[in-house]
Formats: sequence, structure tokens, C-alpha cells
Amino acid sequence: MPHTPQAPLFVREMGLPTRFALYLLFCLLLLALDARYSTLAWLRGGLNTLLYPIQRVLAAPWEWSQDVAGFFITHGELKRDNDRLREERDRMRIAQQDRQTLLAENNNLRQLLALPARPDAAPRVVEIVQTVPSPFSRKVIINRGQAHGLEAGSPVVDAVGLVGQVTRSYPLTAEVTLLTDRDQGAPVQILRNGLRLIVSGTGSDRLLEVRFLDMHADIKEGDLLYTSGIDGTYPAGIPVAQVVKTEPPRNTPFARAYCRPLGGVGRYRHVAVLQPALKSAPDKP
Amino acid sequence: MSLAKPLLPQGAALAAPATRAKVMSTLFAALCLTLLPWADGLRWLLPDLTLMVLLYWCIHAPRLAGLGIAFALGLLTDVTHGLLLGLDALAYCGAAFVALMVQKRLEGFDVPRQTLQLAPLLLGKEALVLTLGLAFGRGEADWRYLAAGLLAALLWLPLAMLLDRVAGRPVPESEHS
Repeated sequence: MPHTPQAPLFVREMGLPTRFALYLLFCLLLLALDARYSTLAWLRGGLNTLLYPIQRVLAAPWEWSQDVAGFFITHGELKRDNDRLREERDRMRIAQQDRQTLLAENNNLRQLLALPARPDAAPRVVEIVQTVPSPFSRKVIINRGQAHGLEAGSPVVDAVGLVGQVTRSYPLTAEVTLLTDRDQGAPVQILRNGLRLIVSGTGSDRLLEVRFLDMHADIKEGDLLYTSGIDGTYPAGIPVAQVVKTEPPRNTPFARAYCRPLGGVGRYRHVAVLQPALKSAPDKP
Repeated sequence: MSLAKPLLPQGAALAAPATRAKVMSTLFAALCLTLLPWADGLRWLLPDLTLMVLLYWCIHAPRLAGLGIAFALGLLTDVTHGLLLGLDALAYCGAAFVALMVQKRLEGFDVPRQTLQLAPLLLGKEALVLTLGLAFGRGEADWRYLAAGLLAALLWLPLAMLLDRVAGRPVPESEHS
């Protein structure tokens, strides 16, 4: 081999098939370990921390170009935005006053009934820095991680509704599985009649579904679904989806309902991470 | 193979051997290219540049880029995909193994003919990743990702020529001249 001067004169190593077999074995071991147990989190976290600065540097020109493009906004557009925001602020202020009184009332009632206080947590606003390039899942990476006190399991919302859940927390970043991921589900309640359901992703950004629905379940087009808060992960009362279509049972004994997610799943750059709802232990009698 | 072409590379090809620095820097550049924030809707079309550069060096400098490097690169790719550790590592090792097995033959072919031989390998790697993901129960596979393998095969010609220049290999004179 003339253009590989590092070639040894005498070959003293395992043959290629043997080496390949060893690597194959090791890969399969890694796969099995990662698929069944979560013992490899340290390796994943370490490598991720190694790659994160490179990814940030590579993404920087894109972000700068977006910032520069944002700088050249016309005066009219700013004025219009300003007016709209002012109007919105006034509306919010009124709603806020309403909320204050309702909160006070709620607290009073809870005290009267001796119920545990509602968990109150300040949301943390984070930025989506990257989508995960995988043919299997709907996930994004956010720019906060273990170092900022983020833990797996925290719900992620935007201004309108539920977006997903933090599924892996790395030292500097965290992975959010979107509500529309096939393996992701959320316990919900119909606003109209309080029926409890589980809504799951379909893999598409605009569609969620309720599988295994009772044939006679009272669910109609236009129904709003809110988190029910019974899973100990999502706090109760976050808007999740609106029913767009119900499908009678055809080949299975179950009906299905299709819903449109209310939150901007896969659209916004900023989202908020909430504290996971505390599992409230049953009160001692 | 015409008689004009010597059995072993001679002259200029001997003067510019592949160095470890060149191999590592091109591999790192390819990995960086795949890490760029590509548009979400185009992900399925993005060819695996890291694997292509790896295969190039497996063919032209098998002592410098072998199974070990394939495994390390695969592991890094796995972390960026966040799917399963070892999935891409397995695919990369498999592809590198096949390329190394037929390395002598691939080295003798010119780039267009290499393309025909590498196309099944590049396509097979995408298929392997999708199949393994399905086998380990990671939900529904997006079969559009196979298109990335086809595009990678199409891009082999320009990439190999570019890397020939980077590696300082001589411009091959046309065999029919």
C-alpha cells in the first residue's frame, strides 16, 4: 500500500471480520442497554455537552441573519404591532383583575374545604435551539438543562396551550418530546362535560387522536380538551386540543376522535417550562 | 483497465499520501455540515455526508479510517439524533466493513463506477437505520428518509472529486485518451 506509509511491515492484528464482529457485538449491546435500561444517560449527556458548543457556533450565522432581517422592519409595521399589543395588554389587564379575585376566592374556598393548596409555579421561558433530525420522533432541543434546574418530566407550554414534555435533561440542554409524537400521550378532560380521555400524538404536527374511545362516549366536533391533572405530570387546566372529527367504530369495537392541537406545536421559538405537578398524596383521615 | 495505467499509483500520487490530519479535518467538516440547522421540512432529503467522507477515506486510506473511527462517528451521530445509542454506530460500522472488504476493487474503479457500487451501500445504511428503529419499537418510521440514500449516491461524484483535490491526488487523465 504505497500511499499509506503507516502500514506496518508485518500485520499483527485481528482480521477485518473479527474486528467487525466485535464492534457489531458492542453496538448491539449498546442498543439493548439503551432500549431497555436508562444506564447510558451519562454517556449521552457527556457527548451532548461536547457537541453543544459546536452546534451553537454553527447555528450562530443563521440567528444573526434572522436578527438583521428583523432590524429592517418598517415603521408602519412597528406602529401596527404596538397598537395591537397595547390593546391586548388592556384586555389582559382586565382578565388579570378577574383572575386575582377568582384566585382569592378559590383560595378561600379551598381553605374552607381543607383542600391542599394549588401548586403554584413560575414558568421558565426557554428557547428552542434545534429540532432533532430523526425519522422516528417529534422532538426539539431547548437551551436550558440540568445546570438550570430543569428535570425530565416537566410540562412545556406556550401562550395558547400544551406543547409537550421534557423527556431527557442534559447538562446544558434538554430534549422536549412534542405532544404530536406517536409515543406521547396526555390525560385530558372535555370542557363541556368533564369526560376523561387520553389524547395521543399521531406523528403529524396538526393532528392528535383519541384512541380506544367508547362507542357511546359523549364527544362532539368542536369540544375543547383540557389537561385533567390526574397523571401527576401536567397541571390541570391547560388547553390541549379541539376535536375536529369523530369516527364511528369500523373494524374495531372502539370509536376514534381526531383533534387539532391548540398550542403551536412545532411553530414557535420560545416556549415555557412548568414545574411538574406534584403528586398529591391522599390526605390522612 | 488500460495498460497505460500502472498497477500501483506512481509519481504524484506517491508524493501526496493521505495524512491523519486531512482525514480527521474532512470528517469533522462533514460532521459539522450535518449539524447545521437545516430546515425541518428538508431533513429527510439530507444525505449523510459524514458517512460519505468516511467511505471515501475507507477506500483511499484504509489504515487511517477504519472501523474504530466509524464507530466513534456513529456514536456522535446517535447523540445528535437522540434516538438510540448504537443505532448509527452499527450502521456506520457495517458500511465501513463492506467498503473495507471490497476496498481493493473500489480503489481500482473511477468515480462514476464507484458510484454504482456504493449506491446500494448508502441506500442500505438508511434502510438499516429505519429497520433497526422499527425493530426496537421506536414508533412509526418515516420511509421518505430512504431518499437521503439516493441523493447521497448522486452526490458521490462531486464529493469524491472535491476530496480528491483536498487529498492532493492527481487529476486522472481520461482512460480513452
